[in-house]
Amino acid sequence: MKRPRIGVFKFTSCDGCQLSIMNLEEKFLDLLELFDIAYFRETTDRPLTGHFDISIVEGSISTAWQKNDIVDIRERSRYLITIGACATAGGLQALRNWGSITDYKNYIYPSPVIINVLSTSTPISEHVYVDYELWGCPINEKAFSETLISFLIGKKPGIPIYSLCMECKRMGLPCILVSKSEPCLGPVTRAGCGALCPYFQKPCYGCFGPKEDANIESLLKQFQNMGLTQKECILLLDKMNTYAYRKAKIERS
Amino acid sequence: MNKFIKIDYLPRVEGEGGIAIEIKDGRITRLHFKIFEAPRFFESFLKGRSYSEAMDFTARICGICPVAYQMSSVHAIEKIFGIEIEKPIHELRRLLYCGEWIESHALHIYLLQGPDFYGIESAWASRQYMPIAKKGLGFKKLGNQIMAILGGRAVHPVSVKVGGFYKTPERKALIAILPDLERAYGESIEGIKWAAGLPFNNNAWDMEYVSLRHVDEYPINEGHAVSNKGLDKSMDRFLEGIQEYQVEYSTALHAGIKRDTSVSPYLVGPISRLNLNNDKLPLEIKNAINESGIALPIKNTQMGIIARSVEMAYAFYEAIRIIREYEKPDSPFIDFTTKAGEAIWITEAPRGMLIHRYEIDEGGHVKSCTIVPPTSQNLGHIESDIFHFLKNNLDKSAEIIKKESEKIIRSYDPCISCSVHVTYS
Repeated sequence: MKRPRIGVFKFTSCDGCQLSIMNLEEKFLDLLELFDIAYFRETTDRPLTGHFDISIVEGSISTAWQKNDIVDIRERSRYLITIGACATAGGLQALRNWGSITDYKNYIYPSPVIINVLSTSTPISEHVYVDYELWGCPINEKAFSETLISFLIGKKPGIPIYSLCMECKRMGLPCILVSKSEPCLGPVTRAGCGALCPYFQKPCYGCFGPKEDANIESLLKQFQNMGLTQKECILLLDKMNTYAYRKAKIERS
Repeated sequence: MNKFIKIDYLPRVEGEGGIAIEIKDGRITRLHFKIFEAPRFFESFLKGRSYSEAMDFTARICGICPVAYQMSSVHAIEKIFGIEIEKPIHELRRLLYCGEWIESHALHIYLLQGPDFYGIESAWASRQYMPIAKKGLGFKKLGNQIMAILGGRAVHPVSVKVGGFYKTPERKALIAILPDLERAYGESIEGIKWAAGLPFNNNAWDMEYVSLRHVDEYPINEGHAVSNKGLDKSMDRFLEGIQEYQVEYSTALHAGIKRDTSVSPYLVGPISRLNLNNDKLPLEIKNAINESGIALPIKNTQMGIIARSVEMAYAFYEAIRIIREYEKPDSPFIDFTTKAGEAIWITEAPRGMLIHRYEIDEGGHVKSCTIVPPTSQNLGHIESDIFHFLKNNLDKSAEIIKKESEKIIRSYDPCISCSVHVTYS
């Protein structure tokens, strides 16, 4: 059997999700038996040519040239999968969607006019059709290999869509929200990290983005009852998945 | 004869950059290391945020060295609040950083730069190289395991907190990986010999190396900034002595040391650290350096792979030492009160000095911050390095110049995603 061709692409991001692919360690070498890594700029010199059975995309769209590139990648791809908070929700850099790009440029660069960027950072799905979105900041590497193998054999990836609370309960961790009265995003956040922060006795800060049908408004009301101001509540949402949480909040209200 | 050399998108480096070189009538008329990675404006986003968010935010600047960002920010903030962390916490943070050095160095040595010496396109492109790639992945896995035990995961770990950690590991969790670390340490000593025996170009020149230096230990989280050309500054004075500047072909600012009439490029990273601190290495590693015939100081940046291999062995050595001595502290963190103030802290990221400056207001919110990553400090030096190589190799074909320039850039292990985060101040 001819191995399916895979392409790994990067837009605006920190590289952590691509690194998570390499963090499969020896299992990464096993993947090479099943797939042909035909394009992966960070790890191989192979040039960009031809079509891909699966394209894996890290990073958000934040410049004009990226808008063109993602269309080209979509046209070359049978399936397109996004990995991580940047590609799936615009990333931490999507915080600029709520401010003035001129102010941000002026703060960083002595000659801001020569910096060509869009005023927004947006997920891949706002630009082209996406076949599957893998959430997380960073993604979980086991979920990544599960996704690839699922596409290989034509089944739906077995990735949970329920909330982080389920993972917490399964691990027998005391509830941060109830027992410590700390503002934990767990109830509205996708499972997937293995309840890392609650395990470390720290409230969830939303690496995996909003779970389906999350009732964000209700959770924020609870936070306000605990004494947080409205602004503080919004800041809790405004992290790596700010764009997705704010969207989910507006869509439900 | 005129030559034009262009690489649009460099492979086997972290992030997005390219090269443009133009040689006319035997003279170098253009030499640009182009960075087109899109900026992300993190420093602006931190304004108005709680001090406690700085570690999680700045970690997202780099997926390969998140611990470096967490360490520079947590120490700067602790300095503002006047917190003196206790010995066990100091040691655990050093251990966490060792995990990152191992992971990052192993990735670069065995998977990114290694293939250059074997003329292959990737670490898995030849059967001959496969055992070397496997060995590298084995080292990397252990670095990641250390980070996962201490921080929950290798990319963007979650445990670092102002005053200590959210939670400290059980002794038995660390002891469990000791046998693997001891085996890997032995292999990493062999790795030094392998690296020293690779075929290098002859591009040695008189550079200025800058790194932290500490009285007791090989520098990671503490020290003062020194160079081989007389620079000697405390952390909080270092920024005053450097000049950041913008070039039109790069979204990352460049930096150099201010001299009387000019700004001179300098080198940060493993070569600088090793050249300036090799006296702090344990005897076993010093012996391995001598037996491998490595001449210090290293004056050729392509030999960064040697310095990285030495440091990886040292990181294993330190990790083993810290774990053997480890007793779980009674409390994972110490209590403190927030205070207004400003501080600069520098730690040694895998790629070199990472400078953070924070100004915190009365309410514990970030008023302003500056982040100077190692790669942006190295950008000017990379161009000087290629210039030096070209000067002696103008007669070579465009193809050779292209390949060799690419290799010089790669030998710095540039982290381009990081490099676009510099605040002009």
